[in-house]
Formats: sequence, C-alpha cells, structure tokens
Amino acid sequence: MKRELELKVNGEDYTLEVEPHRTLLEVVRNDLGLTGTKLGCGGGECGACTVILDGKAVKSCLMLALDAKGKELWTIEGLAKGGDLHPLQRAFVQQGAIQCGFCTPGMIMASKALLDENPRPTEQDIKDALAGNLCRCTGYVKILDAVSTVASEERKR
Amino acid sequence: MVEEYSVIGKSQPRIDAMEKATGTAKYLGDLKIPGMLFGKILRSPYAHAKILKVDTSRAERLRGVRGVVTGRDTKGMRLCVIPHLANKPPLAEDRVRFIGDEIAGVAADSEEIAEEALDLIEVEYEELPGVFDSFEALKPGAVKIHEEGNVAIHISRNYGDVEKAFRESDHIFEDRFETQAQLHCCLEPHGSIVHLDQSGNLTVWITTQIPHPYRKMVADVLGMPLNKVRVIKVYMGGGFGGRFEMDPIEIISYFLSKKTGRPIRIINTQDEQFTTGRTRYPMVIDIKTGVKKDGTILARDVKVVTDNGAYNSHGITITMGVGTKCTYLWSVPNMRYQADVVFTNKVYGGAFRGYGNPQITFAIESQMDMIAEKLGMDAKDLCLKNANYEGQSTCMGHKVTSCGLKDCIEKVVEAIGWKEKRRKPENRGVGIASVMHTGGGVRLLFGDCNLSDVFIKMNNDGTIDLASGMAELGQGSDTALAQIAAEELGLRVEDVNVITGDTSTTPQCLGAWGSREIFIAGNATKMAAEEIKRKLIEEASKILEARVDDLVARDRKIYVRGNPEKSVPITQIATIWYNRGNILAGRGCYDDPTTYIPDSKTGYGGVPTYAFGTHAVEVEVDRNTGRVKVLNFIAAHDLGKVINPMLAEGQIEGSALQGLGYALSEGLIWEEGIVLNPNFQDYRIFYINDVPPMKSIMVESVDPDGPYGAKGLGEPGLVPTAGAIANAIYDAVGVRIKSLPITSEKILRAIKEKE
Repeated sequence: MKRELELKVNGEDYTLEVEPHRTLLEVVRNDLGLTGTKLGCGGGECGACTVILDGKAVKSCLMLALDAKGKELWTIEGLAKGGDLHPLQRAFVQQGAIQCGFCTPGMIMASKALLDENPRPTEQDIKDALAGNLCRCTGYVKILDAVSTVASEERKR
Repeated sequence: MVEEYSVIGKSQPRIDAMEKATGTAKYLGDLKIPGMLFGKILRSPYAHAKILKVDTSRAERLRGVRGVVTGRDTKGMRLCVIPHLANKPPLAEDRVRFIGDEIAGVAADSEEIAEEALDLIEVEYEELPGVFDSFEALKPGAVKIHEEGNVAIHISRNYGDVEKAFRESDHIFEDRFETQAQLHCCLEPHGSIVHLDQSGNLTVWITTQIPHPYRKMVADVLGMPLNKVRVIKVYMGGGFGGRFEMDPIEIISYFLSKKTGRPIRIINTQDEQFTTGRTRYPMVIDIKTGVKKDGTILARDVKVVTDNGAYNSHGITITMGVGTKCTYLWSVPNMRYQADVVFTNKVYGGAFRGYGNPQITFAIESQMDMIAEKLGMDAKDLCLKNANYEGQSTCMGHKVTSCGLKDCIEKVVEAIGWKEKRRKPENRGVGIASVMHTGGGVRLLFGDCNLSDVFIKMNNDGTIDLASGMAELGQGSDTALAQIAAEELGLRVEDVNVITGDTSTTPQCLGAWGSREIFIAGNATKMAAEEIKRKLIEEASKILEARVDDLVARDRKIYVRGNPEKSVPITQIATIWYNRGNILAGRGCYDDPTTYIPDSKTGYGGVPTYAFGTHAVEVEVDRNTGRVKVLNFIAAHDLGKVINPMLAEGQIEGSALQGLGYALSEGLIWEEGIVLNPNFQDYRIFYINDVPPMKSIMVESVDPDGPYGAKGLGEPGLVPTAGAIANAIYDAVGVRIKSLPITSEKILRAIKEKE
C-alpha cells in the first residue's frame, strides 16, 4: 500500500505516493527522476548515492524514503544555479577531480555537507568526511585538492 | 616567443566534466527505454555439478513475468573475446563449473518480480567434486572441468640459448612469486539494455570499452550482419579492462528480447559483480635469472601457471602476453618461457589494466632487488646498467623507438631521497620498480591490425564534429582527441564536438585497451585534422596571396607565419566552402606502422611503441603488527609527449592507487569456490584516508611515430607498484614477501620466522 510522502527536494515542495519499502535512493531516482544520484553498491559501502538531508550527508540507499518525510533534501541536480556551478562543482571540473564520474555526485554532496557545517576544514577533516565515498579512478588526490581549494577560498573570505 | 603548441601540453578540463559534475551525464542505469523489462539471472550455487533438470514452468506463470530463457534457448552457443577459444555457454546446458555460472534468465515488469521468479525455477543438480587450485587441476587423475582436460593451453617459447647463458653466469637466482585475483571494482557494475525490434534490428546499450569489436562479436555469435547491430556505449562508471569482452548477460538479454519483443535491462548487483565478474588472473611465477658478477643479465627462464577459472576469456592471450613481457623489461639476451593456463572451478578471469604485466613485473622487479643485494650493488645501479634504451632490439625482436627509462629511474631516486634513506634502520625503507609496457596497443587481438578511423567535418562556422569509434571510459580520451584536433586546426577545445561510442555514427576503431587511445586514435585524429587544415590553407593562400608553406593555423585563423595580422578567420573559409556547396571534411585511418613480426612462430608481439616508468615508494613497517604505512610515493612515467598534464597526472595517481591496493590489500578470498569477501567492506580498495603523498613526474621521450611524440599511459601506472612496495618493505624490515597482497599477517609471520 502506498503512503504519502511530503518533502522538499532541491528547494521545491513535493507530495509523492510511495511504497513503504522503497529506499530514498529508489524514490529519488525512479519517482523524482533525479538520476544524478547513483546506485553503486546498494549497501552503504561506496557512497555513490550520497544526498544531503536536513543538512547531513546520508547514503540514500540505506534509508527508507518515508523516513525523509517533512525533511529538506538536496541532490546534485540542485547545486548549480541558472548555469552557475557551485564552487565545489567548479573545482572538481577545473582541477581534474573527475574521471569516469560515477562517484562524482556523491563525492560532491558529501563535500558540500562537510563545508556547510565546517567551512574551514583541515585536510584530515576532508579525508574523514569522504572516507565513506569510494573512487576507483582518480586516486583521490585531485578530489582532495578540489575540496581543499574551495575550503581555502572560504578561509580567505 | 610563441609557444610551439597552443592546445596540447595544457591542463584542459575534461570535455565531459560539466555533465558529470552536475549529475546530467546519463549512465546505463539512468536510461529508460519505452517498454523496457527488467531481467535477473539464476546462477549456480554449486562450484561443479551436472544439471539434471531445469523446470521454469512455475516461474513463467508468475504474474508480471514476461519471458524465461534457459540453456535450451542458447544451446550450442559458446562465448569468448577470442572466438576460437570460446567455451562459455551463455546459459548452462548440462553442467555448471563455478558458483555463479548462469543457468536461466527471467524478464519481468520489475526487478522484484524477476527475482521472485528465480526462486520458482526448479533445478536438479548432481554435485561433482570441484578443483580449486591450478596445481591440483594439473595432477594426473584430477577432476576434469572440460572434456578436453584442465589445461587450456601450454605455451613454450625460446629466444637465444638459455642453457649456455646460464653456464656462463656467475650467479643464478631462482624464486617463486604468487599473485592474486584483483577485481576492477568499477563503482558501476556491468550491465546492458538489449532490444531486438520487430524489424530485426538489434540495439545494445552497454558499458563497453570496445564498441566496434564488441559489435562484431555479438553479430558473429548471433549470426547477424553488422549493419543490423547497433552498439551504443553510454557513460560508464569505470572500465580498467573489465569491459573488454562480451558477457553472457547480453546474450541472455538478447534471447529474452527475442521472446518478448521488448528491451531487456540487466545490470549486475555489486554482489554479482564481486562473485561472478571478471578478475585479474592469479599466477604462480617461477623465475630463474642468470647474471654476471658485474650485474649484466644473461638469461631469464620463466615458468607461469595461470589460474584461468572455469572458462576462457583473456587468460590465454594474457599468458601469451606475459611470455612477451618477460622478455623485454631490462636487456635480456636469452629467454625461455613456459606456461600452462589451467581451468579451475572458480569464476573466470579477464582483461585488467596491465594485461599480465603487473604479475610478471612484480616477480621480475622483486628479484632484481634480490640480485642487487647479493651482488652488493645499489639496486638503482643494477637497473641503470640493464636499462632498455632507444634503438634497442630485444631478444624477441621488439624494437624500442623511444625510451625514457633511465630518466625515470634517476628522477624517482632523486625525489624519494634514495641516497639518504636506502639501507637505513628505523623500520623505514625505500624501494623502486620499473615498467615497460605497450604504449599503443598490439596487433593480432582483433584481426591483423591495430587501427582507428576518425572522421572530422567542419561546420560552416568553423567549429568541428569529430567522430571516432574510440571509447571514453573515464580515462579522458575524448578530451585528448579534442585537444589534438584543435591543435592541428588552430581551434580551441570548445570548438570540437566529440562523437564516440555509437557504432552507427562512428567509424571503425578497436577501442580502449592496451594504452592505445592516444597513440592510435590520436594519430588518426591528427591525420583527419591535417586533411582539413590542408584545404583551409590552400583556400587561405588564395585569399592572402601567400605561399601555402608560409601559412599556419592558430587562434581560429589561418595566418602568415611571423605576421599574425595577415590572416583570414577559419570561420570565413568554412563559410566559403559551404556556399560553394561543399563540406570541409577529413578522414584519418591509422594502423600502427609495425610491419615486422617479432615472433614469426606465434605471430605475436607486434607493438608500435613502448611506454616506460619507475615508481619509488617509502614505507614504514610496524614490527609488532606488520602494518605497512606508505609514507611517500613518486611515479615517473615516460609518456612520449604530454597532451594534457592534469589528465595524465590523474591517470598516474589513479593507477598508482590501484597498484597500492594490488600490492597491499586487494584480492578475492575463496573457500571451495565460494567468494568470502564479495563487497567493498571485506574486499579492501584504498580509501581517501589511505592516500599517501604522491608526486607524478612526466618524462617526455618524444616517440617518432606518436602524435606530437605521445604514447600511452593508461596501464603502465599500476604495473611496477607492487614490486616497489615489496622492495621497500624488504629495505625497512628485511623480509621478502613473494606473494600478493603483502598483508600484515604475511609480514608479521616473516618477521617472526626471521627472529
């Protein structure tokens, strides 16, 4: 039996009808059509499904959609404003932090959750925040550089 | 002073980065084809069993199930990337040979229904004893996995006079090394959407590194003409060699589509990928090397046993490739190679970044370190003494056209602080290891060629569309091709629209493997662009009343060399051509220039150029726990000429981290054919927290045949890593670990034994 799910997605209000066993990831991808959020492992190990829920990075494959009721959800699609990339997106693009791109949305969302909470993280803070996001292509070096760049720009402000 | 190049050699962001950073790039799982059904595969729970009966009737009656296929539908079909070695039935007929072997496919309205239906399929098995170790499988009287026996192939090669060379050697070293089954661990598991429509046209949306050869494989297996088969490579979440063949999934999907008339989507779960996807081949390597007192290598004798797993994939060609690779790193005048590729009741291996080279190089480079110690030489001096060089002809007949190996060695030892740190106490150590690998693919894998075809058309505003059959899988080939075309035509990267991946809109290319993208497709791109440039310059010479030889293409203009004001915009020439009712187009079809066959008996080994590299690592080993901490990592690579420094660095860093995983933590663990670590928690790839300080050094040897001198880089970056780590661990605590991965347990045990 489907149940009603009200939530805010990328700044807009939605009312959905979802089955109680659906994960947040399934609803984001299939019901909302926001396929930027990826299904990697389905078991909370890889972080490709990371979204931001009420300001916290969550692995959407591990959470039931109905548990997001009344909350504010941000996905990768909500970051760029009218063609202007979010500073993290810009840094990932310009600093070579993207290869195959499959981990990128989750990586950027996890980084955003970190910077929203702690705009001036140390390198170790960044590593800790991204320790649950796997990347098999880049060796993480340029991902770390990209997030550090945005953090240090923030520090200069 | 005007720079020589305006586009190449610059750190240009990837041309697909925006799409990927914003989440708009569509990967396989993001596609919705109207009418699409969802498929699931029933797999064997037994490592070795006879199938007595498969009854699908209950599954077929389940509401929402639209089609079921079994071995009866695919009877007689055999799959393999090398067609004459095919022995893998898409669906089992009367026998299963590993846990996960495909038995039936179900297509339903949803994945849940398909999964439910799998439980309703009744299979009667008669369990057979399994064989899980290559040496067990080689024993007389071992359980036969295939009717022909357990040896897929025996390989034997001989170059020079090995016995004589051993007699002349002052020292002979004999060691055994063992390597494990590493997994690609693409974050996106393998899958496809397959649709055979009512008019008999087949479309396959797939994560493949080889759209055109893949299309040929599908067409041949299904008995279809090529023009009826369209392969569309979508954005894919990593490849690393894992998507370098046809998978049973696609053929199962084809028969489900044939039955239902609808598109069929099957995507592996990550658990299926871990337990049934391709792996790097585990090998046991016996290596015997004869050297003179002064360190000159006289002979190498190598015996390899490859664990092929249950079926043929790349196992035979990779093991043949190891036979080539072990002849050429360092100057080895005499060489013997013998290998057996052996079936076991485990998941079968496949291609993986390096194609056998990480295995053999771990053995060669570990032993080089041991040789140096015994001779009382500095390991770096032993390497420099035997280093490959430009103009070299190897014992097998390979010609080295460009070589920056000595530079690589010298630069990494300088950067790691070799002199200060080597052979010092304190549980810290440094080690080096090198690589020689093809920098441009190889002939004979898909026909007697190594080609790529590129079409470029110039639009009437001076921008261009570039069509290539190459496959972008994250390595950056689309961007590199755009840079090469832009450089040649005097355009900017944003003026280039790169079209790759769709066999209906792109010309023939053998795809992304063997580090061949830059060298082969790059050359083809340059040729295609040159053809257009010639036409632009001819036209401009009339307008500017200048000699053709004096004109250059740069900054979106054709201008007189040394006098940029005397110019005509490229867009103007494009418009002139267009208004004449003509289109500026160019085609480049590049086949590598290797016309010699190094080994006339096997015909194998035609490689157009070689890439080189050296890794130096510093580690700290905890004597109480055996834990290894990588303190510093320097990777120098000879890539001919850098097309895009940022992307090249990305290749080096990414492959080096895979190499560290290969060296220290990764590997499938089996018990009686059951994979015990089928997930990212138990199969440990490196996390961001594990990344050591890394430095990449680019050595530009400028290859005479490479585009602007460039050669491949994609694979070499993980080949030497394990050897460097093993050597550094030895330098730190004096224990030599000869099997991968070098876990804390192995180190601790060795330390205890030594004490």
